[in-house]
Amino acid sequence: MIALVAGWLLPWALGAALVAALPHKGAHGARDGEIAWTLGSGWFAGAFLLTLWMRVLSAAGVPFGALAIAAPLSALAALAIGIAWRRPGRPATSLRPALRALAGADLAGWKRAAWLALLAWLALRFALLLGEVVWRPLYPWDAWTQWATKARVWYELKSMVPFVRATEWAQANGAAYYDAGPHYPGTVPLWQVWSSVLLGRWDDAPMNLPWWCTGVALTLAVFGFLRRMEFAPLPALAATWLVASMPILNVHIALAGYADLPMGAYVALATLAGLCWLQSRSPHDLVPAALFACALPLIKNPGKVWLALLLPGLVVALAPRYGLRIVAVAFAVAAAAFLVFAQTNLVLLGYQLHLTYDFPWRGLIDAYFTFANWHLLWYAVLAAAILGRRAALAPALAPLTVVVGGGLLFLLFGFAFTNARIWVEDQSTVNRATLHLAPLLFVWAILVFRAWARESGGAAHAGAPARG
Amino acid sequence: MPPSRAVWRRVALLFLVALTACVVAYLALAVPGAWFPRAEPKAWAVENLALTRGAGAIAEGELVVAAPDATGMTLVSVVTKFRSSDYPAVAWAAIGIPESADVRLLWSNDYAPQTLYSAPVPIEAGRPLPVLPTQDRGWIGSITGVALAIQGPLPQPVRIRGVVVKPLGALEVLGDRAREWLAFESWTGTSINTVAGGADVQSLPLPLLLAVAAALASAIAYLLRRFWPGLLPLPIAAMLAASFIAASLLLDARWTWNLGRQVQATAARFAGLSIRDRYLAGDDGPLYEFIEKARGLLPAAPARVFVLADAVYFRDRAAYHLYPHNVYFDPLSNAIPPASALRPGDWLVVYQRRGIQYNPAEERLRWDGGQSIAAELKLRDGLGALFVVE
Repeated sequence: MIALVAGWLLPWALGAALVAALPHKGAHGARDGEIAWTLGSGWFAGAFLLTLWMRVLSAAGVPFGALAIAAPLSALAALAIGIAWRRPGRPATSLRPALRALAGADLAGWKRAAWLALLAWLALRFALLLGEVVWRPLYPWDAWTQWATKARVWYELKSMVPFVRATEWAQANGAAYYDAGPHYPGTVPLWQVWSSVLLGRWDDAPMNLPWWCTGVALTLAVFGFLRRMEFAPLPALAATWLVASMPILNVHIALAGYADLPMGAYVALATLAGLCWLQSRSPHDLVPAALFACALPLIKNPGKVWLALLLPGLVVALAPRYGLRIVAVAFAVAAAAFLVFAQTNLVLLGYQLHLTYDFPWRGLIDAYFTFANWHLLWYAVLAAAILGRRAALAPALAPLTVVVGGGLLFLLFGFAFTNARIWVEDQSTVNRATLHLAPLLFVWAILVFRAWARESGGAAHAGAPARG
Repeated sequence: MPPSRAVWRRVALLFLVALTACVVAYLALAVPGAWFPRAEPKAWAVENLALTRGAGAIAEGELVVAAPDATGMTLVSVVTKFRSSDYPAVAWAAIGIPESADVRLLWSNDYAPQTLYSAPVPIEAGRPLPVLPTQDRGWIGSITGVALAIQGPLPQPVRIRGVVVKPLGALEVLGDRAREWLAFESWTGTSINTVAGGADVQSLPLPLLLAVAAALASAIAYLLRRFWPGLLPLPIAAMLAASFIAASLLLDARWTWNLGRQVQATAARFAGLSIRDRYLAGDDGPLYEFIEKARGLLPAAPARVFVLADAVYFRDRAAYHLYPHNVYFDPLSNAIPPASALRPGDWLVVYQRRGIQYNPAEERLRWDGGQSIAAELKLRDGLGALFVVE
């Protein structure tokens, strides 16, 4: 178990060191939330780089082993730590103030009490989730039909042998493997392989530790991001607690083994790092944003779509004057095309382009508003969209709004026009698909609400004395 | 100047007032009769039930109905005696009822003992929802018997624990809702997809109630701020955020409590066990035990293994336990590959699969469609068998 924890600290440390080592405009670690952001995003960078290295090893014919995997990563981590150490305002000098802030020493009275209570609440939640992760054998269905199947084979054979479809398997003469999702990417199974290498055996409970780390790191990253966006400590922690307490997100940590939580976390991190870059224009944010975006298609197949959906946000960010119009026109054209396909029976190159519209209202309302999947996320999204409709399209938030809006349209298109509507009605996939967007969506709602609060607060103060 | 502690106290009070108002409004809609009735709920447990039509038996405190009668009717009845005016609601405790079935509550009264009255019973998630027959002309006098009638096939056994008649006062309605919200929701196969938030069927979803309460508190705050600005000197956004956080705290307290109970159950079942013992303690323990024996007979190097089982769960789980052997299983249908797809040296794991016959004298395995292949039986144990193709 010690080897497992130490082994996972390695990619986490590697990622955090690399993020800290990247050139930055201004002093490293000096800004509010920088330590939390570096630690949080560092996990995602390191965990992804680990799998890239394992792919390289496999391609080079080097069997998976602790030394082959860990030694180069350790060397790279040492190098990155050395570079980060030499940067002005190195992270170590920020540690003491960060620890003071963590203890709530910068707050007083009820604010300090609330800060400590929220921290305790988060600690309790992650302690409970850790218990589930380390004790319960692999439980949810797809985890043992299409994800850990690959991990088991790759761990035992020490190489990424191919998984192929049934027809190809029958002809492969034993050279290829088969499972329920042979075309799924290998990032998540490679995490389980690394855990198993560290444990020295196949044990499908503790091998899922990276799901717990993903939850913790996402929490850290969201807090760090909000602090970087000039949220005060207590509101930032409260908002982070809201994101981390979504029940479905918790379930995907406790019943680890699916790729939906990593998918949602990387979508959120890619976008948030991109937003940080818009402010800092620094490689310190650009490189992680690009790395997280590259990870998307390698986590789950819908990652290709999520990657594409980042592009409209980039257009709006880089061309603030015309970007929104360009994206609006593109969305309108897409919507018109869908309407045409829904009303016609066009056939192009042999492909039937007809779309059948049948929106599963009841299932979606149950999933988002009635059941306990999301706590109050969707009420918050509705409130933010209504109250903050102007703020959401202001230059500071427009890129994020476009990414979130595109993501919602993607989900709703799937639910309304494809056989995914069945999975909404029977509640089988609707929440898992939504989890890809949910952490980012909550952050969006929080940012829009803050922007609206600033607008309305000013207006209210101006109006109050006149009435009084 | 930041708001004082007194202001935040008023905010908390306002949220409580809004929540109370929402609950009272709900009760006004949900309580069918007197808010504080004198009558107590009456319950009839399984030993009082009679399975008048259909086949079944009592097992572990439940009446398990396996099949309807020849006409497709299942009828479970109980002799009662209570005043209809005291009890506006009848709730059957049952599960496994198909939603496509025509389900009705039947009853008789002492005014017209020969007449049988009925009302439809809505089914949700396989459970009957409470029925309020007070508007029915037959719900008068003393009710001398009630019955649950299910018309239609039963794809799975229906389990009935009993029936309760309720006065449905305000406190009872509140108690029922609280029990629904606080019912332990343990992990199931669908937990990865959806979280109900307590009982499977809920008359008043807690997120909806709390969201409405937060909105109402904010609306009241807006009005207070407009007409008595000194009372709540807070921006409306702060009030909205505070209400939202308060509602989220309540929701998350429930969720965390449920999670804590689940972790306790998980620890009691799995903590401290080896991986083998954890598998044996799992839902598919017997299957794992069989696969373990089969693995002992398979070659050390990965071999091609075909897994056959009627239930997709057993097919997929058996395959999972067999890796890193080169396993083939059909995750979608209960189909067997054609005999031509099998080669000498391939293995077959058969677990709870009908339609497969083995002739030991001829050493031939036969299955659907008259297909057959030469094979040697290597293991026969309980519900499973292992063959190697010759």
